[in-house]
Amino acid sequence: MTPLLPVIVPFGAAAISLALGRRHALRRSLGVLALVANLVASVLLLQEVRDGSVVTVVVGDWPAPIGISVVVDLFSAIMLSVASLMLLAVFVYAIGSSRTDDTTLFFHPVYLLLASGVSASFVTGDLFNLFVAFEMTLVCSYVLITLGGSKPQVRHGTTYVVISLLASTLFVTAVGLVYAATGTVNMADLAVKLQAIDPALREALSVLFLVVFGIKAAIFPLFFWLPDSYPTAAAPVTAIFAGLLTKVGVYAIVRSQTLLFSQDTHSTLLLATAALTMTVGVLGAIAQDDVKRILSFHIVSQIGYMIFGLGLFTVAGLAATVFYVVHHILIKTTLFMVGGLIEERTGTAALRRLGGMLHTSPFLAALFLIPALSLAGVPPLSGFVAKLTLIQSGLEVGAYMTVSVALFVSILTLFSMTKIWAGVFWGAPEAPPPMPEGLESSRPRFPPLMVGSTAALVAASLLFVVAAAPLYQLGQRAAEFLFEPAQYVEAVLGP
Amino acid sequence: MIAVLAVHAVVALACAALGRRLGRHVLLVGALAPASSLVWLATGPSPTEKISWLPAVGLDLELRLDGFGTLMVALVGGIGVLVFLYAWHYFGERPRLVLFTSYLVGFAGAMFGVVVADNLLVLYLFWELTSIASYLLIGFEDEEGVARSAALQALLVTTLGGLAMLAGLVMLAQSAGTYSLSGLLGGPPTGPTVAPALVLVLLGAFTKSAQFPFHFWLPGAMTAPTPVSAYLHSATMVKAGIYLVARLAPAFAGLHEWWRPLVCGVGVVTMIWSGWRATFQTDLKLILAQGTVSQLGFIMALVGLGLPEATFAGVAMILAHAVFKAALFMVAGIVDHEAGTRDIRRLGDLGRSMPVAAAVAVVAAASMVGLPPLLGFVTKETALASLLSEAGWPATIAVAAGSILTTAYALRFLAGGFTRYATDDREIVVDEAHSPAAGFVAGPVLLAIVTIVAGVFPRLVDGLVAGAAGALGSEGHHLALWHGFNVPLLLSAAAIAGGWLLWRYPPRAVQEAAARLPRAKMVYASAIVALNRIADRVTSIVQNGSLPIYLGVIVATAVIGPGVILTRAFRLPESLIIAENSIQAVTALLVCVAAIGTANVKRRLGAVLFLSAVGYGVAVLFVIQGAPDLALTQMLIETLTLGLFVLVLHHLPTHFENIGWRLRQASRLILSILTGVTAGAFALWAAASRQAAPLSGEYLTRSQPEGGGANVVNVILTDFRAYDTLGEITVLTVVALGAAALILTGRGRSEVPHNDEELVGQKGGDDR
Amino acid sequence: MIDRSLILQMTADVIIRTAAVFALFLLFRGHNAPGGGFVAGLVVVSGLVIRLVASGRVRARQSLPAPPATIMGLGLALALATGIAGWVWGDAFLEAAKVTLDVPLLGEMHMTSALLFDIGVFMVVIGVGTALVLALAETENGP
Repeated sequence: MTPLLPVIVPFGAAAISLALGRRHALRRSLGVLALVANLVASVLLLQEVRDGSVVTVVVGDWPAPIGISVVVDLFSAIMLSVASLMLLAVFVYAIGSSRTDDTTLFFHPVYLLLASGVSASFVTGDLFNLFVAFEMTLVCSYVLITLGGSKPQVRHGTTYVVISLLASTLFVTAVGLVYAATGTVNMADLAVKLQAIDPALREALSVLFLVVFGIKAAIFPLFFWLPDSYPTAAAPVTAIFAGLLTKVGVYAIVRSQTLLFSQDTHSTLLLATAALTMTVGVLGAIAQDDVKRILSFHIVSQIGYMIFGLGLFTVAGLAATVFYVVHHILIKTTLFMVGGLIEERTGTAALRRLGGMLHTSPFLAALFLIPALSLAGVPPLSGFVAKLTLIQSGLEVGAYMTVSVALFVSILTLFSMTKIWAGVFWGAPEAPPPMPEGLESSRPRFPPLMVGSTAALVAASLLFVVAAAPLYQLGQRAAEFLFEPAQYVEAVLGP
Repeated sequence: MIAVLAVHAVVALACAALGRRLGRHVLLVGALAPASSLVWLATGPSPTEKISWLPAVGLDLELRLDGFGTLMVALVGGIGVLVFLYAWHYFGERPRLVLFTSYLVGFAGAMFGVVVADNLLVLYLFWELTSIASYLLIGFEDEEGVARSAALQALLVTTLGGLAMLAGLVMLAQSAGTYSLSGLLGGPPTGPTVAPALVLVLLGAFTKSAQFPFHFWLPGAMTAPTPVSAYLHSATMVKAGIYLVARLAPAFAGLHEWWRPLVCGVGVVTMIWSGWRATFQTDLKLILAQGTVSQLGFIMALVGLGLPEATFAGVAMILAHAVFKAALFMVAGIVDHEAGTRDIRRLGDLGRSMPVAAAVAVVAAASMVGLPPLLGFVTKETALASLLSEAGWPATIAVAAGSILTTAYALRFLAGGFTRYATDDREIVVDEAHSPAAGFVAGPVLLAIVTIVAGVFPRLVDGLVAGAAGALGSEGHHLALWHGFNVPLLLSAAAIAGGWLLWRYPPRAVQEAAARLPRAKMVYASAIVALNRIADRVTSIVQNGSLPIYLGVIVATAVIGPGVILTRAFRLPESLIIAENSIQAVTALLVCVAAIGTANVKRRLGAVLFLSAVGYGVAVLFVIQGAPDLALTQMLIETLTLGLFVLVLHHLPTHFENIGWRLRQASRLILSILTGVTAGAFALWAAASRQAAPLSGEYLTRSQPEGGGANVVNVILTDFRAYDTLGEITVLTVVALGAAALILTGRGRSEVPHNDEELVGQKGGDDR
Repeated sequence: MIDRSLILQMTADVIIRTAAVFALFLLFRGHNAPGGGFVAGLVVVSGLVIRLVASGRVRARQSLPAPPATIMGLGLALALATGIAGWVWGDAFLEAAKVTLDVPLLGEMHMTSALLFDIGVFMVVIGVGTALVLALAETENGP
């Protein structure tokens, strides 16, 4: 199984979809088909590397540092699999949504290219190619975030684009510096050659990459763009961004810190960053009164937990991070999908204009309650299991400060989830504002595709709980391999 | 046990999914769940069960039933069934009973889980589930703002403790090397983290069992429907903290000298403070709620000692309290239901209209006060005796003082609800009520009968209680109705007399003075206010919406992070070449000047032109370095960009807006200079420290023979790194699509870009 | 639009044709000398800008064989297909194959399948450039 399939399949589908023009039904089936194939390919890859082997090819059949290496190890495969599941679910959801259906011509191809770019980020073994993959996802996100082109979207989209451009500039500068220092951009090659350079320079590069990827991952103090730009986008777009994009940044941080800069562990820096990210993010969430804005700030806060696990630099900690990332992708995507359903149903996401939906839409309430409690770490949901592993590994090495912050932030998370619950689902039902012209009659209030895909992800998150043991084992093994970069290097460069 | 849990889950889900058409009878279906735990208990089940879940982190579904668990299961199941039957009358026909039933069944299952969990994490799991169920139940009347905030308050307080407890449990387990509760108690760990861990666990227990100063959530929770108050907030859930302390105390109380003063101290303070507050409440339910907190403190003090006799007494009190307090709550609910109010200033003389309920209230209150021959008397005598022999006089006196309060508020409850007894603030408005249906009072009557029978024949429950105490290491103690004339009896009598006096002649001045003391509830309220304020403040600072500030912070982070390391270790490379020839130097200088010009010019067009000059200058540098391809591309791109800019500039003001505010300008200048200097120094440093030969050499040697092209740039683009190119042309495509769509939409022809014939051709291929 | 100078239009025609030929020249020699699909595409776009100025938006669009989005899609597909071909007939995705062709006029040429890839790039760049230019032009002139 070539590790390139998850890149090629959606890419090809995007190209065809673009050339298809207005044949919407065809484009829809093509997209679903491609994303199903993508999911299958990812899972097969996961199957292939679960024993710890590393699948690698060099594009163009050049020897490793010359051509671009494409590498899938267990961590990549886990990310690929969960990402492709989200991509499929959200695509189905988007077909049902009024804001991303046929009226927006470029949604399908751009979404598929986004999928391709996300996969490319996870499978690449080349730093410059990672930049290219980032660019792919970024430009797609620029288009998707402004989809519809309303004024607030363009205004907040501008923030997003400008900051992303700055991040790209920093990234390409950093790649340039790395190339200047080592003469290579192949990550396995870098893992070897970075050992030979001035340790102080390596440390400086390490911090620079932390900043570069930190912008993408939305850690403190680099996260401002996220809560401003995400909530204005269409619901399916926000859902997939919330689930995947920041996690691509987290992936890159984990990958670079364990593979390239395994010598220099910025444990204190990372733990402090983690604590601040959790706290500031959750405080931001508390200050909001709009479902999508609350959820957006929680993305930031939750990233802190992932950085926390990495910052411990133990196998248990990193395993917890991997586990947490998977849980978070699933839950966060689901929550935004529920947010989108609320909006689809009522035309608003502002808490003060909502209420009583527990009684008008009890099923939706259940679809919200499960992932919301999971996000707050309430047992026995996936968030509890994930948070537990983090707390355990933190306490094991005596990171009491960060553990305390993590626990306290949990309760604040619960607090702001109850704010949504009480605002949207409890209370007297508000009269919903009139639907936008033309949408009123033509659409069911709960498009079955949207509800179905959301429910499927909720079910998946429950399955996550049941299958926690094998999943955790995967995460643990992935963490072990991440701490053994020699294996990765050997797979790419040969013995 | 797993089967019982499964029954609860299935019943809860089935009620939620299918219960709508049953109307109020869904509550009867719900009653099947707690009934199943009683049936299961009667079948003499196997004591341990285990399902492996996540063994790597110690999270396995380990369940274990011992004597203490049996007592608790009997309470959860028995009172549960009664509460469901009671609720069936209490609610009558009304919507949303489906939700109520599901929540309540869910709670019963979770509570069952708490008392049979033998794994610390599973214990925590069910513990938190009871909190969630409690949240949903307190907020059941969700249109009421009071209910919503009371629900939140209860949730936050108990979860705060719960999370502390989680940390504590994990720390304990890590010291002990096992997550098994019985394993932990079998070999209590020692080590530096054990004491803080225990404090954290106690925090969880105290919040859950509403101990001072976390007690305030429980009276607040009285906004829940009365069946909930009877079940969760007096008989079962609030006993969870006591349950946990009772489990831990025998193992740990002796190992840490602070344990007994802390736990008993908290218990006694809670007993007296809340007992005192109960004596001047005006709402029947609030009297009971404060009384419950007070009694919980009493039991906490007993079981917290971890000594055999006190443990035995504590366990007996758990049983007695659950029985009489559930009965009292049910009566309060009946009064509320039939008379329409619970305010004792307006109520009165209901003894005539509802004699049965009044009789139940009298029996239950008498049991609470400790009058013979009721169960409450039996257990209170045991408790006082155990305190006297194991804890000494101070604790005994304190508890006796608390008992005075118990008597006083019990009298206030009875007199307020069922007599015409006059006080100055009382103006009886409601003195008649419907007589409650027989089924409605059946539950309380049954509980009252239990109180009497178990008091007269303590042997009937002795097995249960002694078994429970035995599981906590307290062997050989038994309940007895009559211990002879002894000190405890004397103390009881004195407490009753004192209580009567306190009720008859309430010290108004003291009450008013006490009412002015700071209250924990206020602390909570101001904490929430402060939290919201801090959140607003922090958010308005970090998330101020200003793009320049965002950019500034990001750039500053990117500069300062590596910059700090740079300043420590930077050395100029030995052979520093400033420029290779004069053209290079001149071009570079021009580029710099143009860059500075871009930043300083006031007109947009000027800035664009300067920017182009930078671009062309860089192209010249490419030419000098021998890269004609790059130069050509750069030139073309610059030209096109210039053209596009000119097109766009039409739509923008000719001048940049004035930034004003010199400080801001200065900070931008400083940041820019810092960025430039850092980037430059970084580049020099990086290039100077290269050890290995760069990849470019490989490209040059392989380009012609293996790549089949002499133009190495092109071979790189289309062969060596064609994969990158594939990505980059994708980027271009998407940019074009996005930009074109935005431009076309921005023209304002429509919200949605239907005008995309420009891009995809005329309509017609549309197969919609 | 009507009074656009005929001379300008005819000059533009010449320039465009020259640009097209020049672009093809750049494209095909790109592997061995400065040029390549990217630059060649930009040259075509420049030509289109001239056509736009000379004859207006409608004519400019008509001078394209297909709508820009389709050109881009096909270009991407071609580049990808080259890659997949390298995988199917060779050993790896995007592996280039070399052939020697005897082309009239130009003589014997060493070609690699990388050229096909470059043509894909060429098409994408044309599509991108024209899409942007046409969109901007529409905001300028109205329909």
